[in-house]
Parts: sequence; structure tokens; C-alpha cells
Amino acid sequence: MKRLLFPGALVASIVLVALAAPILGLPDPVRQDVSNRLAPYLPGSPLGRDEFGRDVLSRIIWGARASLGVAFTSALIAGIVGTLLGLIAGWFRGTVEFISVRIADVVLCFPPILLALLVVTLLGPGASTLILVLSILYLPGFVRVTYAEVLSAGRQDYVEAVRALGAPTPRILLRTVLPNIAGPVLVQFSLAVAAAVVVESGLSFLGLGVVPPTPSWGLMIRGARATMEQAPLYLLYPCLALTLTILSMNLLCDALRDAVDRKGGARAPRLRAVDRILPGLFPARDPAPLLEVQALTVEIATPSGPIRPVEDVAFTVRAGETLAIVGESGSGKSITATAVMGLLPPVAQVVAGIARFEGRDLLDLPEEERRKLRGGAIAMVFQDPMSSLNPVHRVGDQVAEAIRAHREVSAAAASQEAVDLLKRVGIADPERRARAYPHELSGGMRQRVMIAMAIANRPRLLIADEPTTALDVTVQAGILDLLAQLRRETGMGVILITHSLGVVAETAEEVVVMYAAQVVERGTVAEVFARPLHPYTRALLAAVPEGEAEPEGIPGVVPRPDSWPPGCRFAPRCSFATAACERPPLLEQAGERLVRCIRWKELA
Amino acid sequence: MLYVAKRLAVSLLLIWVVATVVFMTLHMVPGDPAEVLLSTGGTSPDPYAVAELREKLGLDRPLLVQYAEFLERLTRFDLGNSLVDDYPVAEEIALRLPRTLELILAGTLIAVVIALPTATYAALHAGGAFDRAASATAAVLQALPVFVLGTLLILLLAQWLRWMPAGGYVPLAQDPGRHFLLLLLPAVAVAKGLAATVFRMARASVLDQLSRDHVRTARAKGLTQGRVMRRHVVRNAMIPVTTVLGLQMGTLLGGTVLVEYVFNWPGLSTPLLRAVEGRDYPMVVGIVLVVSGLFLLINLVMDLLYAVLDPRISRS
Ligand code: SF4
Repeated sequence: MKRLLFPGALVASIVLVALAAPILGLPDPVRQDVSNRLAPYLPGSPLGRDEFGRDVLSRIIWGARASLGVAFTSALIAGIVGTLLGLIAGWFRGTVEFISVRIADVVLCFPPILLALLVVTLLGPGASTLILVLSILYLPGFVRVTYAEVLSAGRQDYVEAVRALGAPTPRILLRTVLPNIAGPVLVQFSLAVAAAVVVESGLSFLGLGVVPPTPSWGLMIRGARATMEQAPLYLLYPCLALTLTILSMNLLCDALRDAVDRKGGARAPRLRAVDRILPGLFPARDPAPLLEVQALTVEIATPSGPIRPVEDVAFTVRAGETLAIVGESGSGKSITATAVMGLLPPVAQVVAGIARFEGRDLLDLPEEERRKLRGGAIAMVFQDPMSSLNPVHRVGDQVAEAIRAHREVSAAAASQEAVDLLKRVGIADPERRARAYPHELSGGMRQRVMIAMAIANRPRLLIADEPTTALDVTVQAGILDLLAQLRRETGMGVILITHSLGVVAETAEEVVVMYAAQVVERGTVAEVFARPLHPYTRALLAAVPEGEAEPEGIPGVVPRPDSWPPGCRFAPRCSFATAACERPPLLEQAGERLVRCIRWKELA
Repeated sequence: MLYVAKRLAVSLLLIWVVATVVFMTLHMVPGDPAEVLLSTGGTSPDPYAVAELREKLGLDRPLLVQYAEFLERLTRFDLGNSLVDDYPVAEEIALRLPRTLELILAGTLIAVVIALPTATYAALHAGGAFDRAASATAAVLQALPVFVLGTLLILLLAQWLRWMPAGGYVPLAQDPGRHFLLLLLPAVAVAKGLAATVFRMARASVLDQLSRDHVRTARAKGLTQGRVMRRHVVRNAMIPVTTVLGLQMGTLLGGTVLVEYVFNWPGLSTPLLRAVEGRDYPMVVGIVLVVSGLFLLINLVMDLLYAVLDPRISRS
């Protein structure tokens, strides 16, 4: 709204001045006075006189009237006719639809000024010709916008309902559809007016628009060109007036479009959490920590102050072992992984903590060193394999690219290796699939490509961020099996980020439960599953579906990082909350485990 | 391949539609077309002249016969003769078109070469000083009508600073240096609108790509920043830009008429404007047909380029 104010006021004042031209007491804009030709200043003529001795200020203001008059009239005609055509086309469909939409589209086959010149040839120059031409030029825009909106509005329930009640068609269109299309049509109107001012001034400048002596900015520039050596200012005034008008109109259009677009709003994707439980695999433990994260804190600067989507997070991953980080969306688990990878967006920053990988602190390395680790010793697999692969490159090339980013091998060798990798992740007919584009593969196959890319340089740590969430239930198990198999074969450490405890039971040895940016419980999978200590872990476990049942889910949602409860952040959703929970609980040692709950001993 | 064939067929169809519309325009005007063409400001024209013009344009024959003949002559690139000097329209166009094409090509090149890198840099440093300055410049350029820019360039560079000639044309063979010097200002003027639009579009598109998952994947692979930008950001960002480029060519072609007039560039606009003023209908029709055809051709090329850039189009 604020963005609308300034350009809106500017356009309004230009229009007001133009409207008020007759009552401003200006000198007659067409009265010639050759004795004062090109006079720079005269009493009553602050901007001087033009090449025929006519008052320049008066001509500029009256010129605005001519330009805006033509522009508004033609945009209005185009708007009314175009909107009607679009309404009819969208409502009746069939032949009517075809004819009105196609006829409108024909106009778009011509460069605008050329079409205008064709009509001017036939009808001769003049304001009425201009209005006719400009209305034709901007008709298709209105038809298209209205047509599209009616089509989508027609599918809305309330319109269907009114229609079913037998309301007469014109009434439905007027009452229910028109208010909905008002926004887009208004935007289209402002665009048409701005564009019409440009074309009108251009044609007038060529001497083919408004007919002299009527003042018009285009004509004034045409006239002043002849005398620009003696009187350059007379060229600048109309140029300035014209450019300023168009600029403020364009700004208004942009702001209007943004305002209308925002009303549409974006839909958040809904995720379905259905997982099958398989027997877990527990390889022998290797005591040497591969990655050790301590006190990791991430801050995001927002207009209303910094927020902390990750706070004081700590965990350890060992080689050959899988650590699961579990939590609902909004718990900070993905940002934790992104921070370790050094892939945080610019607005987010690590403000504290260390992430020691094979003895080096990742968070402290120069960017070039981190780049060499990414995709090399540390690789990552993302949630949605469709959007995570580049749609315009062949998948084999994308895998080969990962190889060549880290090793000096020829393009041919890299391609061959890519094919081998695709085979290794279980893709049948890898030679042919390597030449496919991502959209030509199934979801499961795309995720296998992502995994092939991740293991291309034999990473020692693999971070998998919700690797099965976006996939079909039937292929989820296959992907998890592949990850487990690769881990056993290569002895790499795995961080598995998931919102589903079902997945954790199948694949992980250790689990970190996160809630609202904090670790709330940490321990081995066997212990945590057998005896959850934190009420949040219990709730998550209770939400794991039995068999094919839908998960129950925990009532409520994770609070947003800017509105965390002052005490225990889980308190508003916790069924065990008491007055004591208004103080923030600490992460306490509970045997082999860590838990962040004031009442864990009583509840155990 | 199928896509290319389909797209070609659509273009041919559109050219036919354009030709038909142009043919119909003369006959949709209320009243006798010959009379309309000869009348100026309310005075009725000489009946003898009307009869003569009617015969010359073949208006005395049935409409369908006229239409068939019009199309038949079009296939032979016969656009009729000028009403003013009886010179064949096609020959006049053949002489002028290369100069207009040169101007369009130079303008497009300048626009793309300036706008793309600027937009990419601005998007990478979105919100920074450079981005804000470039975005503001683009907004002002977009608001500056092309003939205003042309006139101001002449005022500043030719009149005041005397760095550049005010306009004109020298054939390339005669003096290459002077030829390109004279080309520079008109080409810049032609480029301005396109540059502003391409900048805005490319900036938005690069920004959009930067937040895409596949770019994160590319970075997670450990690619260098330069390679991520080239192969995964700019390459993808170009896809929507080509569409805009094609649609913007209509405005650019119209702008070229104005620019040629401002800089005395002897392209198509000189005969076009003379013909519009003199109501030389065959000449106007010929030029409108050729330029609209050019516009459709450019859009065809852009669509094909789009298909090359985006494998999802041609294959599905
Ligand atoms: S501290 Fe209180 S509110 Fe928080 S989890 Fe424990 S019992 Fe629930």
C-alpha cells in the first residue's frame, strides 16, 4: 500500500492539473504572437514563448490534457469492450470463445505503431483516429485478463452454486465475477493508459497523431527540434513532462500489480507422512567421531530484529554410523544441516559454534576450502529430487559435473564414470538414462540420480535431508535401503534428517530430536524408542502410524522463531506442562542420554 | 522435429492471418475506400480521381477476386506499385530493408550485451547500491520514449558537445568508420527500451533461479561459484528471457520507425512516413506486411531458441 501512495499521488496531480487547465487562467495555448517568438521570459509566460510566440507553460498543461484525454478515452473503450468480450468468451465458451479470443490475439501479430500507421493512412491523422487505433491495440490485453479470470472464477464453488440456483447469466457475471476480476482489469487499465501515452506522443511527434494547432507533447517536441540550437530549453520542457508522466504511471502500474498479485497468496505444500517400519540394521560401532558439532547457533536478520532458527545444537556422527535428526517442520533441523554444509542463504549467519570434521572446524574454513569439501568429502541429498536437479541438463552430465568439480578427469572418463554410478545406485539401462533429462525420469529414479551425484567422490559423510518425503510411498523403502547399503559398503557416516520416527527406527543408530531450534532429546535409537524421556519425543512416537493408518499428528504447530514461549518452548502443546515450565529448561544428562525437560525425572 | 514443424506451420498461418487482416482493413472502412483515401478534412474528392484510383487498386472487381489476386501476388512478393510515383513497392522495400535490419540487429546486440551482465550482477547483489542504481536507471529508461531519448542524445552529443554527428547515413562500402559512427546513436536509442525490459526480466529471473533447489545442489556438489552461475543460474534464467525478448521485438520495431526518423536513417521509415502522409496505400500495406512478417519470424526464432534452451518443451 505504501508503494502505491507516491506514484498514485503523482499521477493524480498530473491528471488534476490537466483537468483544471481551463480554470487556471492560462494564456490561450494556440494564440500566436510572432513578435515574441522564442522569448525566454515574459510577464505571464514564466517558461517563455515557442517558435510561434505561443505560451510554453500553457501549451504543456493543455498538452497534458490532449495526451491524457486520448490515452484515458482509448483505455476506457478498450477496457469496456475487452472486458465484455472476455466475460462472454469465458462464460459461454464454444464458438463465441474461439472467435472473441482469437480475434483479439490477431492484434498481437502486429508491431503496435505499424498497425497504428496503417489505420492513420486510411482515416487520416487526428484525435478520433488515435482513439480508435489505441482502443484496438489494447483490447486483447483486457480480453485475455478477463477471460482467464472468468475461467478460474467459473470453477469456484460459489459461482457454481449461484448458477445452479438458476440466477440469470448477466446477474451472475455482474454480481459474482466482476468484483473478482476488478483487480487484474484495473492493472491492465493502468498499463494501457501508460502505453497509450507513449504511442500517442510518438505518433504526434511524427506529425501523424494529434493535429496542430492543438497542443500535444509529441507535437511540441517535434516543433522544438527545429529550433533546438537557439532554444534547447523548449525541447527539454515537453521531454521532461512526458517522461515524468510515463515514469509515474509505470511506477503506479508496478505497485498496483504487486498489490493485486499479493492478494492471490501462495499455497503451502502439504506433506504426507506415511512410512513403513522395517527391521533396523546395526553395524559395529566405530568410536572415532567423524563430525562433531557443538553449540551451533544460526541467526537470521529480519526487519523486526534477529531470530534464531537454530540454537546451541550439538551432536556427533561416527564413520559407518547413521545419526538421525528428527523434528516437525520449523524445528530447525534442515537449517542445521545447511549450516554444516556452508549453504546457508545470505540472510542467515552462523553466530556461534563449531563443526569439527576430521579435525578441522568447517565453520571457520575459507570458502574455497569449504567448496572443495562440498560434494567431495561431505555430500548432500535433498528432499525434492525434481526441483533439486537442473531441468535443462542431462542427468548424466549433472553427475559427471560433480566428478569433474573435484577430480582432474577427462569429460569422456567422467561420463563413463557417471554411467557406472547410475548403475551402482540401481538404475536399469544406465547408458540410456544418463542421456535423459530429469523430467523424463520417475521420482524414485531422480532421487537415485541425486544419490549417485552425492557418492560420486566417495564422501566420508553424507547428509540426507528428508530424502524420501517427496517420493511415492512405494519407492521410499527402496531409497532408504540404497542409502543403508551404500553406507555399509563405503563406511561413510550419514546424517539423516527426517520428520518421521518410522524412518529413524529402520536406519539410524543415534537420534537427535529437535524442537523450536533446540535439541530436546539425544540418545541411541534403541533407548529413545524403548523409553522416550521428553514429552515431545513421546508425542512423536505416538504419532507413528500402525500399519497403513494415517499418523495422528501432534495437536498444534511449532511456534514461529519470533514468538517462542519464554519458558519451555514445548509448553503450549505439552500435556504435562505445569507452572514450573515457565522457566527455560536446560539440556540435562540422563544416563547415556540428554534431555531438555524440567519434569523428566518425575515423568520417567 | 515435430515441434519445429508445428511451430513453422503456426507461423505460416499467422502470416496468412496478418495478410488477410491488412487486406480487410481497407474494406472495413465505412464508405468507398477510394473516396476515403482521397478525402482530406471533409472536402469531397474529385469523382474522376476516385474512379481512376478505384481502377488502379482493382476495387471495381468482386471482393473475393481481389482477395485471391492479393494473396497470389503476395506469394510472388509482388506488393503492387506506389500510388505516388508508380515505383514497385517491393523494390523500394528491398533497397531499404537491409538498413533497417542493420539498425535492429545493432540495437538488439547492444541491449542484450549491456542488460544481461548488468542484470546478473544486480541480482547477485540484490538490494545493494549497484542493484538499486541499475534498477532505477532501467525504470527511467523504460519511461523515456524512444524519440525523446533520440532527440536528447542529438541535443547533448551533437549540438552541445559536438562529439557525434546529428544523424545521416554513409554506405558501409564507402566509409566503414563513418558508417558505424553514424549507426551508434540510433542503435543506442533503439536498444534502450529493450535493454530496460531485458534487464528487469533477467534480474527477476536470475533472482528466482538463485533460490532454486537445483542451484543449492550445484553448490552442494562443490562447483565453483563461476560454474554455478554459468551453468545453473544464468543458463536457466535465460529461458523466460527469450520469450520476453520475442514479444518486445514488436515495440522495438515500432521504435525503430521513430528512431530512423529522428536520426535521418534511410531505412523503411522514410518511405513509410511519406506514404502515410501521402495516403499511398500500397506502399503502407507493403511495409506493414514486411515488418509484421519480420516480427513473426523473430518470434519463430525465439520460440525455437526457447525449445533448444528448455528440453522440457520440445520433448513433451
Ligand atoms: S518442561 Fe514442562 S512443558 Fe516442557 S516438555 Fe517438560 S513438562 Fe512439558
